[in-house]
Order: sequence, then structure tokens, then C-alpha cells
Amino acid sequence: MSDLIVIGAGLCGLIAAYTAARAGKQVKIVTKGLGATHWHAGSIDVLGYYPDDATPVMRPLETLHDLTRARPQHPYAILDGTLSDALENFASLTRELGLPYAGAPNSGDNLWLPSPVGAARPTFPAPRAQLAGDLRRAAPMLIVGLRGMRDFYPELIAENLSKQGQRARAAFLPLDLITDRRDSNTAQLASALDDPTRRAKLAAALKQLAQPGERIGIPAILGMDAHAAALDDLQAQTGAAIFEIPTLPPSVPGVRLTNALRNHLRQLGVRVEINADVIGFHAEKDRVLWIESDASGRPLKHRAEKFLLATGGILGGGIDSDHTGKVWERVFDLPLAVPREREQWFRARFFDPAGHPIFRAGVPVNREFQPIDAQGARVYANVWAAGNLLAHADPILERSLEGLAIATGIAAARRAVK
Amino acid sequence: MKQIETEILVIGGGATGTGIAWDAALRGLRVVLVEKRDLTHGTTGRYHGLLHSGGRYVVKDPHSAAECIAENRILRKTHAHCIEDTGGFFVATPEDDNDYPDQFKAACAHIGIPCEEISVAAALKREPLMNPHARRVFVVPDGAADSFQATHSTAQAARQAGAQILNYHEVVQLIVKGGEGDRRVVGARVRDVARGEDVEIRARMTINAAGAWSGVVAQTAGVRVDVIPGKGTMLAVNHRVVNTVLNRCKMPDDGDIIVPIHTVAVIGTTDERVQDPEHLTIEPWEVELLLREGDKLIPGVSRARFVRAWAGVRPLYQEHYSGASRDATRDLTLLDHKTRDGVAGFLTILGGKWTTFRLMAQVTLDKACEYLGACKPCLTAQTVVPGVEQGHYWLGHRLHEVEENHLQSELVCECELVTRAMLENAARSNPTLTLDDLRRDVRLGMGPCQGGFCTYRAAGILHEMQVNSEQLTVNSEQLEEWSVAYMQSPAHNAQSRNTQHASRITNHQSPNLLLRDFLQERWKGLLPILWGRQLKQERLDELIYLCLMNADHLPDENATSPLSDFYSRPGISATADQGGAP
Repeated sequence: MSDLIVIGAGLCGLIAAYTAARAGKQVKIVTKGLGATHWHAGSIDVLGYYPDDATPVMRPLETLHDLTRARPQHPYAILDGTLSDALENFASLTRELGLPYAGAPNSGDNLWLPSPVGAARPTFPAPRAQLAGDLRRAAPMLIVGLRGMRDFYPELIAENLSKQGQRARAAFLPLDLITDRRDSNTAQLASALDDPTRRAKLAAALKQLAQPGERIGIPAILGMDAHAAALDDLQAQTGAAIFEIPTLPPSVPGVRLTNALRNHLRQLGVRVEINADVIGFHAEKDRVLWIESDASGRPLKHRAEKFLLATGGILGGGIDSDHTGKVWERVFDLPLAVPREREQWFRARFFDPAGHPIFRAGVPVNREFQPIDAQGARVYANVWAAGNLLAHADPILERSLEGLAIATGIAAARRAVK
Repeated sequence: MKQIETEILVIGGGATGTGIAWDAALRGLRVVLVEKRDLTHGTTGRYHGLLHSGGRYVVKDPHSAAECIAENRILRKTHAHCIEDTGGFFVATPEDDNDYPDQFKAACAHIGIPCEEISVAAALKREPLMNPHARRVFVVPDGAADSFQATHSTAQAARQAGAQILNYHEVVQLIVKGGEGDRRVVGARVRDVARGEDVEIRARMTINAAGAWSGVVAQTAGVRVDVIPGKGTMLAVNHRVVNTVLNRCKMPDDGDIIVPIHTVAVIGTTDERVQDPEHLTIEPWEVELLLREGDKLIPGVSRARFVRAWAGVRPLYQEHYSGASRDATRDLTLLDHKTRDGVAGFLTILGGKWTTFRLMAQVTLDKACEYLGACKPCLTAQTVVPGVEQGHYWLGHRLHEVEENHLQSELVCECELVTRAMLENAARSNPTLTLDDLRRDVRLGMGPCQGGFCTYRAAGILHEMQVNSEQLTVNSEQLEEWSVAYMQSPAHNAQSRNTQHASRITNHQSPNLLLRDFLQERWKGLLPILWGRQLKQERLDELIYLCLMNADHLPDENATSPLSDFYSRPGISATADQGGAP
């Protein structure tokens, strides 16, 4: 029997499990899949655009004060100002993991990093390999693609960066510098660059292309397991600052972060049961006694003192819906805050700055991060919820996806093990 | 102003218009076709893809049914590669009238539609998901038709016979000469939409094949044509839940047919008389109705994953008609405006259906030739379009070619197996285009992720082609004509890529607008069916285009062009906004 079962292995679930394990608790993760982190850019978005009016946010922690006042139900508002602690926690954890994250040189500023289409992407701490792409710096950029790689378009990136006042040009290298396979995805390319001889070839070719003073942007494939060494080698051998630009999923920086966290959890004695879709649970009075996961042969029971739900929202699979307009939380069938009619789910423009109301659907919680019903009463005494499952935020629209996952994951886990 | 002289001017680049251009060119006439957007942008590109056997109208509209079976036999030869020989079932479910099946069988026999009754058990063996409580099942020679490919192939056949096809040329005004009692249409002033220039086209005969938009065109010559615009809404299931066309064996009604076409199965249709063919909304009740009716043919299909909903407008016509569009005739109607309105040199062709487009062209040209004097007889029933040597379409052809030729690394759209060379060749042949036009050419973005991955790749590839064409100086005459016959063939495009100037393009749309507009166009068709797994998929697409790309904050995010205006118009009612998009 575990002290705490965390359901879900996305960034939120992993961080929550880490927090509880560090507090000395026996923790198990029960999860259907690996979470959505493999699809993320790998940096930590905290707040990029203010909800409702979509104005760009320059200093997220400061803007958060306004947000907390204006939207007391927003998950960030429930944190009671502990977001910066959470981010410091995360930063020190990443140093332990050997995958250090850092923020803008002017502490407290959002970083503005080039996206794979050449837009300026607001994000807060980012992996070391993305920092040299900060668009607040003046140095010109050389964006290098690999001819034949279908998920990276350097000409497009350079042109859009130029339109925004960043000096940038594009160049190509042949894909066979890295691999003989033509059908490699980004994860396979990254693993190929774990090999020092291959990245030496890449470094030599980059050095030929770059002019003095240029920083070099490449697709985020710079090593998987040996990423730190790969980045150091490439910078040393080219003599240039190198930065990675995240790609379409699978996004290597997201995969690296997941892998590092899972390895670390293993060392802390946390079991991660993957392929364990939760299909049932049993509660008596106001306590959940066990959950049941789908397994070959028969359902498997998992008992714990406490349960922390980090199954994600519509994207992560924590919330499902059907054509009748019914929307439900998939594990405990918890009450949801959701637009009443299907007709109110969407706006007519895909890029509407106000977003689509359905994507704010989620589990409402009290200040202890415990799910509540429409009257505000706690549903179960031993269930907590965190991350993108929470109601009253659209983390993709406001660019708070990872920040919200980390901060609420830590906060909910702390309250659960208190 | 640029001037073009011709014998026949055709207005409308759908199946009928291109069919007319082909027929006219084969008869030795000089012909110019204008289409305000891309070919098949209107009703032709928005139908479920049924090649009628005639069974659907055999009781209600036997004349139309007879035309269908005759044309069905012809098109299987002239457009073989655009047709999948799925066959069709007419299924009497417990809900349906008990007397109808016998009427149906007798009517098929009378008209000569091959119709064989099979046991329900035999039908279930072929289509296991069909309603097991069906009472009777009849097999007819229905098929599935690719109206994009067929229209492109017809257009290419027309071009090869000397026709000139101008897409993105919109009629501003028909040119009318003469006074009362002696009026005559002598051509049209058209706008080259991409360049913003007007062109004057002078013709001896002007043929209005603008379908649901015919009334608007005719009005510019002071002629009133009251089209009965019957909106039909359709839903695409993510899977081929059937490989045979399933029809209910009853009088045609809403939601009574499921057509397997390419990678999906389409539940159709509703029939609603609408005011405006341009701005179609899909109402929630239509979606509910189609799901409910679909369940009667395939129990549980309402719980399947849907990838898209869309609507097209039937250009129905009946003189002085005020009833429901469902009951309006499907017959073709040729209006000779000389005898009808006293305006010579002007014909309008209406009604009919995709299956009868060739016949509609023939009837129209026969009339035109009466006025123009000596021209050859119609040849379209005996002439094949480019590409028929490939034989009938089969679902596995792309996968087979990708695997045989090791083209996996070339895939730009994994859902629909579109290779980079297919996209490049299509883009190069289309002087003005949006990603939506490329979708109609090669099925880009038509699969489960609805553009999630390929929109970015396609914008990147087109941009690379633009950059390359700035660096190269190649004469456009040096480029071979794109073989539309093989536009959907990964293998053929892989071979031709090596022999052509692979990366050159004359299109200069901003890649940022291409990307934004295509995502918006995909969004429009997703809204009515977003729930469950498709909603989750859409959220992943948001993660990609908002968090990862920040594509909603690109330079020229609010820019417009004549081509992108279309995509920013409202097209749905299932939204939180009252007024729709600006």
C-alpha cells in the first residue's frame, strides 16, 4: 500500500511524485501513457499572454499579481504566491538532473525564443541549449537545417525573424552528415548525435558555414542521452554559441526532460506503472480506498492512503466528451466547470485571442487543491488534483502550460503529504 | 485592359463547367473557362462522392435515374481512375416502409439498373457493421467518385484539346450589346483575382455553369434565374466503416446514405433550402440528425470518431418553384435565354448531379452548336481523359507505392500519404494557390490530424520553393505540363521530380498567410464535430501552433490578400460568438 498514488506521468505528475517522495513518502505513479511532455517545446512557459486581452507578458511573476486579483479562481491564484518558490525548486532539480534550466539574463523577464516558424515565443526558464536563441540579444543568427528533414524549415524561420528585426540567415547541411537513414524522426536523429564522431562531423560543417559573431540555431536534435556533452562539444568545436529550436512532436527537449525526471524518480524509489489506464475506483464515505487499472487478464487494484490526480485536461486525456455535449472527468467522474451547451464550446476563429471556452473546462478545487462540487464542498477527503486538469485556465492559450503543471504539482503534493 | 477572343466562354470550374470546356474543345471550338477560385472549389468539391447507379431516384424521379445509369456506365470508362468500384447496397431497415423494396426492384428492372437481391447474411458477410436487423438488401452498381481528380483530369483533357482554363478569374459583369428585343451577351468582364486586374473576354456564346451561383452571374446581364439552392450537409467518419455504398431502401431523405471514399466514410446528407450559396452554416440539429440516421444503417456509428463536417449547395432548378429543395427535381435544365428572356448568345445549365455532368455538357453544347453552326458531334462519351490506364482507384494504392518505392521519408502528410514531390508538383502547376487548393489536388490535411503536422511542413516547403525561384531564372515554358492524371500517385511524382526543376514555383503568397488560412479552413470544418478523440487531437494542434510555433503572433498575422479573405468569413453557427468571425 502506497502513501500516495499519483495518476498521470506528465510533467505535473512526475513533479508531484518527486515532491512527495522527497518528503519521505512511499509514492507510486499509475499512468495510461507517458504524458504530453513529449509534445512540448521543453522550456517552461509560465505566462506568455495575459488571459482575455492577450497582451504579451514581459515579466510573468509580476503580472501574476494582477492575474491573481482579477481571476481568483485561476489555479495560479490558489498558489498564494508560491510560484517563484516552485520555479526555484524546479531549477535546482534540473541542475541535479544534469539538464540545467535558466531564465533571461535580466532575472524575472520572459525569454523570447525563436519558434520553428520563426515567431518569438515567450517562455520563462528554458534548457541551457535554448538560451543562446534569446531574441533580446543582438548577435546575428545563422539558422541551419538538414536537407531532407521534414520538420524544420530554416529559410522560413530566418525570414520571419528578419521581419521582426532580428538579423538572421539560413543555410542547409546534408542529412547524411548525421545518419544514413532517410526516414528518421527527431528522436532518432538526436540519438545519432549521442555519437561523438557524428557530432564532430556536424561541428566541422557548421564551422565552415558560420561567420564570426554569428550564433547558430539548429533543430533540437543535439543528443538524447549525451545531450550535455553534445552541446559542449559543438560549441567548443565551432567556437560559436549554439542554440536548439524545438521541432514538431516528438520534441526532443520534452523527451529529455521526461527521461531525466523518470530516471531520478526511479532512484528515489518511485514506481511508475505505465499502460495502466484507470478504469474504476472504490470509495467509502468520503474516502477513495482503491483504484483499478486495466491490465492483461484482469483489472488490477492499487490501494493508497491518498490519491493525486494529474491526468491532464482534454489534451492529456483526463477529460473526455461525446457528441451529446457530455463532458466528464475520466478517473473519479469529478464535478467539472464546463460550458453548459456544446454551442458555447468554440469561437469561429481558430486563432481567436480569447481562446475557446471548452478548453477552460476542468476540475474546480479549493485552496487545498482538493476537488469540490458546484456548492464548493470537498468531494473526497483523500483526493487532490493538479496541472492542466484544473478548471478556470486555458494554459495553452495563455502559455502557462509547464509553469502551471510544475507549480500546482508541487503545491498539491505538499498539501497531500502535509 | 487585357482582351481575349474566343468562341465559347464557360463560367464555372466545377464538374459541369470543365465538362463543357472539354466537350467544346473536342468539337473543335475555341473555348475559355473562368472560375472565380480554384477548380472544384464550389459544389463539385463538396459532395459525398457518390457515383449514382440511379437507384436512389429510381422510384421518385425515374427520368433522372435513367440518366444516372447511362452516365455511370460511360464514366467508368472515360474517368476510370477517378472511380472506385465499391458497388452499392439498398438496405431496408426495420424503420423503412415495407412496400418500398418491391417498388424499388420493379423500377430498377423497368429502367435497366442492374439490381440483385441478396440475403441479409450475405450482405453482412461483405459489410459486417451493417445493421443486422435489416430486412432486405439489394446490390446495385453504385460507386465512389473522386470529384477533385475527375475535374482536374477533365480540365487537362480540355487543355490538351485546346481549351484555356483560367482559375481565380471572377466574372464582374456579363457584356450585353443591343437594345430591347435585340439584346445579346457578347462575353464578360472578369477579374484576375490574384493580380487585381480586369480582363475582357469576348465570345460568340457565353455558357453559365456557375451552379448555385448562376443566378448571380445571370443577373449581371439583367436575366433572372431563380436557382433553388439546396444545402446538403455531410459528416466524414475517420474510418472506412464500410467498403460498399450503403443506401436506405426508401424514398430519398436526410441522412440515408453512407459513401466510402478514399480513407473515410461519408454520411450524407441533409437538404435545406438556403438563401446564400456562399456562406453556409452547419447547424447542430443537422449533425444530430445525420448521426441518428447513420446509426440506423450502421448501429453505433454515432460513437465513431468524426474528422470533418461540410456542406455543399445543389444548384437545383424548377421554373416557378416554391417548395422544399428536397422535393425539387434533380433533372438537368438548360435555359436558352434567347427564347426565355430575349437575350441571345447566353445559356445557363442547372440541376443534374455530379454523375450526369458529362451529359449536361453534351446537352449544352448541342444547343450552343445550333446557334454557332457547323461543329462536330459530341465525342466525350467515347473519349477517355488522361490517367484511365491506371484502372479503377483502390484504397491501398498510395501505401503500396510508398512502400514499393521507399518513399516513407518523403511523406509530408502521414495521414493521407502525401509526399513532398506530390506537393511540389501540384504547387508548381497551380500558378495561384492556397494550401486549401493543394488539399483538393493531393488530399493534404484531410486525415485525422486535419493539418496538425502537414500545415507547417507545406508552408515551409512552399516557402523554400519561393526562395529557390527567386534565385533561379527559368522560363515558365521550360516547365513541362503537370500530369494531373497522376497527381495522386506517390510513385509517379517521385520519378518526375528528378526530371523537372523540382523546387521552382511562381506562387508568392506569404507562407504565414498560407499557414493561418489553412488552419482556419480546417477549423471551420472541425467545429461541428469536435468532441471525444477529435477534440483531443485538436488540442494537440493548438499545442503545436500556439505553444510550440506561436503562430498566432507571426509577422503579417493580420494581413489579408484577395485569396485569404475567403477563409476569414464565418461558416459555422456552433460557436460562442454571436456574430461569428470578423
